[in-house]
Amino acid sequence: MLRSFCLLAMAALAGATLQPSPAEAQQSFSRAVRIVVPYAPGGTSDILARLIAPKLQEEIGQAVVVENKPGGSGNIGADAVAKAAKDGHSLLLLDVGTLALAPSLFPDLTFDPQKDLAPVGMVMFAPYVLAVNPSVPAKTTGELVSYAKANPGKLAVANSGIGGMNHVTPVRIAKGLGIEWKNVPYRGGAAASRAVVSGESQVIFNGVTATMPFVKNKQLVGLAVSGPARLKAAPDLPTFAEAKLPAGDAGTWQGLMVTAGSPPELVARLDTALRKILAMPDIATKIEDLGGTVKADGPAAFRTWFAENVKMLGEVVRENGIKGE
Amino acid sequence: MDLFTNLALGLATAVEPINLLYCLIGVVIGTAIGVLPGIGPIPTVALLLPFTFGLEATSAFIMLAGIFYGAQYGGSTTAILVNVPGETSAVITCLDGHKMAQNGRAGPALAIAAISSFYAGTIATVVICLLSVPLSVLALKFTAVEYFSLLVLGLLAAVILAHGSVMKALAMVLLGLLLGLIGIDVSSGAARMTFGVAELGDGIDFVPVAMGMFGLGEIMANLERPPVRQVVSQKVRDLIPSLADLRAAFPAMTRGTLIGSILGVLPGGGAALPPFTAYAVEKKVSKNKAMFGHGAIEGVAAPEAANNAGAQTSFIPLLTLGIPANALMALMIGALMMHGIQPGPQIMTEQPQLVWGVIASMWVGNLMLLVINLPLVGIWVSMLKIPYRLLFPAIALLCCIGTYGIANSVFNIWLMLGCAVIGYFFIKVGAEPAPLLLGLVLGPQLEENFRRAMMLSDGDFTVFVQRPISATLLGVAALLILVLLSPTVFRKRKEALAE
Repeated sequence: MLRSFCLLAMAALAGATLQPSPAEAQQSFSRAVRIVVPYAPGGTSDILARLIAPKLQEEIGQAVVVENKPGGSGNIGADAVAKAAKDGHSLLLLDVGTLALAPSLFPDLTFDPQKDLAPVGMVMFAPYVLAVNPSVPAKTTGELVSYAKANPGKLAVANSGIGGMNHVTPVRIAKGLGIEWKNVPYRGGAAASRAVVSGESQVIFNGVTATMPFVKNKQLVGLAVSGPARLKAAPDLPTFAEAKLPAGDAGTWQGLMVTAGSPPELVARLDTALRKILAMPDIATKIEDLGGTVKADGPAAFRTWFAENVKMLGEVVRENGIKGE
Repeated sequence: MDLFTNLALGLATAVEPINLLYCLIGVVIGTAIGVLPGIGPIPTVALLLPFTFGLEATSAFIMLAGIFYGAQYGGSTTAILVNVPGETSAVITCLDGHKMAQNGRAGPALAIAAISSFYAGTIATVVICLLSVPLSVLALKFTAVEYFSLLVLGLLAAVILAHGSVMKALAMVLLGLLLGLIGIDVSSGAARMTFGVAELGDGIDFVPVAMGMFGLGEIMANLERPPVRQVVSQKVRDLIPSLADLRAAFPAMTRGTLIGSILGVLPGGGAALPPFTAYAVEKKVSKNKAMFGHGAIEGVAAPEAANNAGAQTSFIPLLTLGIPANALMALMIGALMMHGIQPGPQIMTEQPQLVWGVIASMWVGNLMLLVINLPLVGIWVSMLKIPYRLLFPAIALLCCIGTYGIANSVFNIWLMLGCAVIGYFFIKVGAEPAPLLLGLVLGPQLEENFRRAMMLSDGDFTVFVQRPISATLLGVAALLILVLLSPTVFRKRKEALAE
């Protein structure tokens, strides 16, 4: 145990000290590949990266090291990969919805996510569950909407930070349905979730694993789920579309990216390897445990999705004056 | 009796040889990273997480928990010996612990730290068994309003614990509050005082500031003096605490345990509140107040006990509600999910073996820590004989590595070195850095909870006195201010009357 810990530490050190040089860019992976996770350890992106890393290592025949580079809403880590050598050895695994929001939230962003980063493939989509504290007199989405219309500004929607996906989602819904509710920012998803369980705030849009245990325990009332289909774990929850809620595509999208301008052969190899890994049954099970589904879209579909979302989210941010500067 | 069946199940799980082994590995790694300044339990747990996939969930969790409370033990060692707090929780131990070491009493200081931690760990285990459910209900009663009032009380404690000038302490708290404002404001999303530096977006990290101001600042100040140092006695008699020491420390550790157990449950308060509060209380109730800040053994026992008790009870919200109380607990949730266990309120009924096994293993682990640490005291103390010319560069290097490791960030190293210069300046002007650090940690939370309370109440200030818990906390704070002011007030009045 201790020995493998030391080995890992050495591998991490080696990964950090090896200076990538463009001259080395060849058709194969010549040294350790790093997956930068731009958040602190323990989150969904981090767990995904640590699941994928050992499998990717087998596929490409080089050591794959996960490197946490938290800070600046994920922009510090993303910037590091955007400015890395264009040799395909620096990967970035992150919440790409947040990344799509970054250009409109941060006017002085130090990189352009569409020009400096290139997609390898989407990894996972995790839908949001809309849940309310039992003190809210609503057992269905319809009842919630009419309650919100009758009591403008009374309901407080907890989110995990200004300019995050679950802040933008209730803003989109309020706009689409013509309702008015307070958006209350918290420091992270766990704090937001706690606040809705305690009744400090009343409404939350949050991941399946973070929300369903409370729904099952009757500490929260589940009303609807985003995404294209109902949940296997909670088949009685209607989808946003069925419940006539806008923003049905809301949720967490995790994707793998690489420095733009990397050799196309290597990106293609990464794409193939990633699809192969995501098709493995144990990975699929682990991703379901994380409250999501495998989303093995290749670079082209990812690029389209990303461009559309940058545009759509940019409009939401501008129309509602959200600032994340 | 349900409790005993649960405890029996837990103990049976914890003493399985495989779990004992992982518990031992956990506490040994924990002690090691605790001793190394700056290398905290969070990156360690993150690194070890993938290796636990192959283990049974209970064993994995026992080991990860061991790292966490083991680090609390180890952290006090560096604080006492070289005045470098690697963790928030060890800042207070520096105050009197390092003074004791300078007085040639490093051995008793280390031993008392270990004994207090064990004592607190034992009591906290019982507290978790008996009070998990009611305490988790209490934790849910704490909304933004109650947090604000609790933090007001905590900051007042910061002023109490400073010795010397109250004005300087106030100035340091305010400076800490200002530093805490740096970064993206949670309530509005606006960047404040970041000057476009992305690294400042998440605010100033605590560890580089603490290590710079305490450890490196102190080293710089030491370099000015001629290299004469207290001869460290190696006699066993001087290594173990005397009966008088134990008698003085025991009530302090009991009070510390009590304070730590309660404050640890509250999410957000984090590692800072329990030891700071325990120290402040001890300073007020102790018979030999004059010794505080000059090597009072109570000043080591109380915060160490509070810190360990708090570290353990911070598992309560996780185990009963599935809600993490701090960043490390959030990581633990990740670990549970990787093992296919849904964290949440149902975890205690669905996974009794895991929950009670981990709880029982805490007591077993604490016992191991005591057995490991007491014989080590002599070795640690002999480290003080290493000449400064070797010891100081080694500490500086370890601090740099540790600081870099927090977020793989070179920026943090520069921040630490900058803080070292400022810390040196503070030593020169006789201002203590402890209140500043408390302001830095609690300031952002104070603001965040105040603004959230205002947002939710539509700007109605009366919420703070309408809610019973908040009103009580604010009442205690008001009382504290009165007590603080009263001697001055009376003296002024006497002077006025005399004229």
